[in-house]
Amino acid sequence: MDESWKGYRSAPYYDELITAKGHPRTAARGAVKLLQRLPAGDLAARRAAAAAAIREMGVSFTVYTEGGNIDRAWPFDIIPRIIPAREWAGVRAGLVQRSRALNCFIDDIYNRQRILADGIVPAEIVLQSSNYKPQCAGVSPRFGVWAHVCGSDLVRDADGHLYVLEDNLRVPSGVSYMVENREITKRVLPELFENYSILPVDDYPSQLYQMLASLSPRERKRPCVVVLTPGIYNAAYFEHAFLAQGMGAELVEGADLFVGDDDCVYMRTVDGPVRVDVIYRRIDEDFMDPEAFREDSVLGVPGLMRAWRGGKVAIANAPGAGVADDKVVYAYVPEMIRYYLGEKSLLRSVPTYLCSRREDRDYVLGNLDKLVVKPANESGGYGIMVGPHVDAATRRKFARLIEKNPRNYIAQPTLQLSTAPTCVDGGIEPRHLDLRPFILQGREAWVTPGGLTRVAMVKGSLVVNSSQGGGSKDTWIVEGRA
Amino acid sequence: MTMLSRVAERVYWLGRYLERAESTARLVDAYHHMVMDIPRGSQPGWDILVRILDAQPIADERFRVANEANVVRLLVSEAEASCSLPYAIQAARENVRTTRDVLPEEVWELVNELYLFAREQADKSVGRRHRQAFLQEVVSRAQVINGVWRNTLCRDHAYRFIKIGQLLERADMATRIIDVGAADILGREGTQQAIDHLLWGTLLKSQSALGAYLRQVGPVVEPDCVVRFVFMEPSFPRSVHFCLRGIRQELPPLKHNEEALRVIERARRKLRRFDRQDWERDELHAFIDDLQGVLSSLHGAICDTWFRVDGA
Repeated sequence: MDESWKGYRSAPYYDELITAKGHPRTAARGAVKLLQRLPAGDLAARRAAAAAAIREMGVSFTVYTEGGNIDRAWPFDIIPRIIPAREWAGVRAGLVQRSRALNCFIDDIYNRQRILADGIVPAEIVLQSSNYKPQCAGVSPRFGVWAHVCGSDLVRDADGHLYVLEDNLRVPSGVSYMVENREITKRVLPELFENYSILPVDDYPSQLYQMLASLSPRERKRPCVVVLTPGIYNAAYFEHAFLAQGMGAELVEGADLFVGDDDCVYMRTVDGPVRVDVIYRRIDEDFMDPEAFREDSVLGVPGLMRAWRGGKVAIANAPGAGVADDKVVYAYVPEMIRYYLGEKSLLRSVPTYLCSRREDRDYVLGNLDKLVVKPANESGGYGIMVGPHVDAATRRKFARLIEKNPRNYIAQPTLQLSTAPTCVDGGIEPRHLDLRPFILQGREAWVTPGGLTRVAMVKGSLVVNSSQGGGSKDTWIVEGRA
Repeated sequence: MTMLSRVAERVYWLGRYLERAESTARLVDAYHHMVMDIPRGSQPGWDILVRILDAQPIADERFRVANEANVVRLLVSEAEASCSLPYAIQAARENVRTTRDVLPEEVWELVNELYLFAREQADKSVGRRHRQAFLQEVVSRAQVINGVWRNTLCRDHAYRFIKIGQLLERADMATRIIDVGAADILGREGTQQAIDHLLWGTLLKSQSALGAYLRQVGPVVEPDCVVRFVFMEPSFPRSVHFCLRGIRQELPPLKHNEEALRVIERARRKLRRFDRQDWERDELHAFIDDLQGVLSSLHGAICDTWFRVDGA
């Protein structure tokens, strides 16, 4: 019997595996019992085995440091996060609903702008956002879909409910780690799988391929799909290579592609130029085409926007999709769902104060010590102020920032992120986590069973980003009871 | 399934750098061995290695005297110098790092391990005590990597370009070794007859050819036969003849291969003309010079045809 579980308590937070009274939750019972029965020291050995497997499999991400870029081994906690299938079915439906509404919104914004004309969303919020790309106006991608891959971040508050924290619609990453995490768990804790029926996650690349292939402008049995990466120095290069390999697609850099006189996109191959049908873009749109966006980009392909606008190539996610990936626009998603789908939002959103609204701003400035303040357009957890965790000087700094540029800031109540038992040096302790499922949207929508659970490995911390010391867990959607 | 030009270029260089690492290790090892067998005062200088590897300008920048310590340090441990073993290994690694998706997974792991091994051990291996173990480890690790890709890669473009890179590098190295090595030995003729067989033996060893030579040709190591063997022996996988034939075999499945085929046939015709028994030292040098020119055109033709695809 492993002593390290003794006295595990997470209150006042909601714990994913253990109830407030210290008992395993129903879906987690089998796994927790098994882990508790492991002889002392065994868990540490499994942890070491997982670290070795990660090194061997070469699962890494790149971190920028002053001494150059280094490949870091992927940080992983071996205790899985377990979610009952029944709960997941509701989440899944909510995510599909959200993805449909967001895509209706983007398509509307770049075409008729009905939602603005009807005054549901204030026009200036959308059209003045740096995420709104006028170059995309008038384009109608197939199925009306712009955000083909969406990574929505979910968190569970102390009340036990899941909330959508944000929708990542530009180039969301992390899905390869979801697949690799399962692979590692199978290697180091195979016994855990014996009494469970866990939804598999490893067919993501083939689901992604099918969705991408369905976008091809040419009717072909096997359209030419490529993954466009900024290159080896990008933090997510491992994932780009992983997905390309998993789809049997070429992993290309900007210099491998060119746009011909016929406005079609070609890749340079040993057989000569080969026409590309679909580009899975893992490079920011601002760097995608120096003719249309940043002229100084050396990563992009001149003329790519021309080819896309002319319908000669499909690009996923479509440039401009980020217009709905804005923390101010986020506040309007429930209205969008009602407006476009005539439905009530199935997933909860976090109450959001828009600093551009006078009464919201006054409330935010008066309650900075209780709120999380976020810049509207940053990702990766940068530029965020967690009110209760910072000193008065930082709060004053943010107050000045907000007054100077209110459109650029939103505030939300500080959520009590849920926890799960996590192996740390010296035992098992609760750590805060979130969940990033991935939604694929073509003609139909498909949601990963589970997603990537990210863990804040530092005690008490709420920051789960891998670029800032976050770790991850395998995420199980389990059917029936174990 | 086609292949991106950039990826083809990188796997081609992987083949070249891996072969360069292995042959440099063999060369230094063979020389290291020989030096111990030769009476004091009679050894040829260590600068010959610098000349074989075409590294004179780099060497001149770093030291005035091409003695054992300086030359071995340059070739074995100076990661910045393009003629060094660690440089070739690091370059091989960079080329796999960005082409992992077309290669067997073990290739990346093994090349990465070779890189880590060289980075850790190279400095300690300049002195005579650890030198040989280090060099032999590099050779055997390179051989394992070659075994993996040869035995697991589909016979597709990735295989083709690694193989072409490897064989072209090997042919190039063989011609350099004969050019500089034979000239050196022949230049000494009359003065050191007693140790000549040792020198020619070393030359064979640096090509892993000694055993094969003894079985095929016989127990007497003779200059004419050695040069012929390294150049012409069709059954020996490190002979120039064998390398050119191997490259020729990989060209037909590639599109737009006309120029490369033309150049490789020119190289093979040139080599076939090398059948005289009694060449003079200068003739040999002129012949090799010519042959190297053709090898370099072959490299150029490969780059122009498959790695630089024009358009927009």
